[in-house]
Amino acid sequence: MTISRSQALLLFVPLLLILLPFLIWPAAFGFFASFTNYAPVQPNFHFLGLGNYREVLGDPQFQTACRNVAVFALIAVPTELALGLGIAYLLRQPFRGRGWIRVALLTPWLVSPIATGVMWHFLFNDKWGLFGFWFVWLRLPIPPSPLGLSGLALLTAIAIDVWRKAPLASFLLLPGLVSIPNDQWEQSTLDGASLLLRIRHVALPWMRPLLLTVGLLLLGDTLGTFDTVLILTGGGPGSATMTPGLYSFQQAFQINNWPVGATSAWLIMAMVLLMGALYLSLVRPERER
Amino acid sequence: MRGPARKWFLYRRGEGWLRVLLLGVAVLAFGLPLIWTALASLSVEPDNNSSPPTWSLPPSTEHYTEIGIAEPTFAEELTTSTSLALLATALTLGISFLAAYAMARSIFRGKRLLVQGFLILACLPVMAYAVPLTDTVGHLHLEDTFIGVMLAQTAVFSPLAIYILYGYLSQVPRELEESVRLDGGSTLQVIRNVALPLASPGLAATGIIVFVLNWNLFLVPLVLTTSRIRTIPVAMSDFFTFERELEWPTAAAALTTSLVPLVILIALAHRLLEEFRLPFSEPGSTG
Repeated sequence: MTISRSQALLLFVPLLLILLPFLIWPAAFGFFASFTNYAPVQPNFHFLGLGNYREVLGDPQFQTACRNVAVFALIAVPTELALGLGIAYLLRQPFRGRGWIRVALLTPWLVSPIATGVMWHFLFNDKWGLFGFWFVWLRLPIPPSPLGLSGLALLTAIAIDVWRKAPLASFLLLPGLVSIPNDQWEQSTLDGASLLLRIRHVALPWMRPLLLTVGLLLLGDTLGTFDTVLILTGGGPGSATMTPGLYSFQQAFQINNWPVGATSAWLIMAMVLLMGALYLSLVRPERER
Repeated sequence: MRGPARKWFLYRRGEGWLRVLLLGVAVLAFGLPLIWTALASLSVEPDNNSSPPTWSLPPSTEHYTEIGIAEPTFAEELTTSTSLALLATALTLGISFLAAYAMARSIFRGKRLLVQGFLILACLPVMAYAVPLTDTVGHLHLEDTFIGVMLAQTAVFSPLAIYILYGYLSQVPRELEESVRLDGGSTLQVIRNVALPLASPGLAATGIIVFVLNWNLFLVPLVLTTSRIRTIPVAMSDFFTFERELEWPTAAAALTTSLVPLVILIALAHRLLEEFRLPFSEPGSTG
């Protein structure tokens, strides 16, 4: 059944009433504002050209933030996908209680990014934290919290992100893995393919669209990383865990440098849109056009 | 669930023990930090200064009452978070369902691109437009209002809801819709009496995911409010930023309290969530 074009447009109206003022307009306005010195408190504003971009891109702190978020995304997203796929593989065949385990694994994701930051800050405490506990238990001296070491802070933040989102990835990937027809698995098992070969030749081609979708969702979230690091480290030590999201937040809301905040935020948007375009070119079915 | 029955069942399928072992390790590894937090909230903590570490016993619930002393408005914040998340989720589902239905039941050029466009919008971190959003909300005179935060949160998660609901709706069988239409039913009647009931499991599962996202959203309530409207993540971050010497068991009790409603929700709805899936086209299908 299809509906007429005017009816379809009518059904879109409520959505547009919300999206236009609260998402599309701010996004578009942010783009134009990034070429001016516009700020909410400023009475008049004028065109600056690429001035804001020059200031943001020339700021060593923003450069560090971009490097950090690239490292973050390159480690966190593939690890989350791989771990998620691994856990989903273990849950592939039905057994009693599978639904419970699948849902129980969602629990880390239920902890808000802020609560995650608070929780891990304390778990790394030497006196009663989880981290120190294992060292004492193994009769080793307790090392200082890795969140305070510039070489380890970023990796620790990444590990915490993986803790929160790898189980979510398994939750999202399982339906795809389950939908693989059994005869495909069996055929490749009969052919004597090892587990890794089966995953590579049966699971991955089948799962490709879903893996790309989940990957894009995780990537978008990662590129905006800000709340967990705000609580965990505040971007430190130094700017070891600074991210573009945190940079933009600090500029706009703490230093009140609105134009720089809006411009750096627009660069995050540009990164996500770029990844979105890459996604579109990767998911395009071969038959189409 | 647990116990010998499951183990036997798995064992019969071969690879069984390894599977149980690995799953057990995964559940434990991801669950341990939460168990640690829950124990600390009951003042069961290790003392890492003694070797081997000793545990403080017996458990007590005093830290739960201390939340009220440390943060007198905690109950109020719990109410704000709950009502905000509930209303934003309901509104998100409503507008997204209609739009997803319109897309699933019409044919036009660039439809696939529009669907994928919603996914890309869903991936957009709020930080990317939060700065101009505060300005827009100010111009609409919705600063520091419940309705302003609710509408902005709705806009954040609607694209994701549309993308997911489109997947469900494009798979719902259409014969019934056609027969209602032939009997003279209007489009609205078809939506209300046929499409909505058929899609309701998917709608409910999507609702749960969107509720969790709303409950945990930090940036929107943070930048759009000053003092009147405070949600749990905002209160937690304020508290933690201004008083870093916050006692761990009290923080753990607050963490546990804010997590328990979600855990109960997920546990109650686990059957619905089992059916949750993102849309994806299987190889060979037209998608």
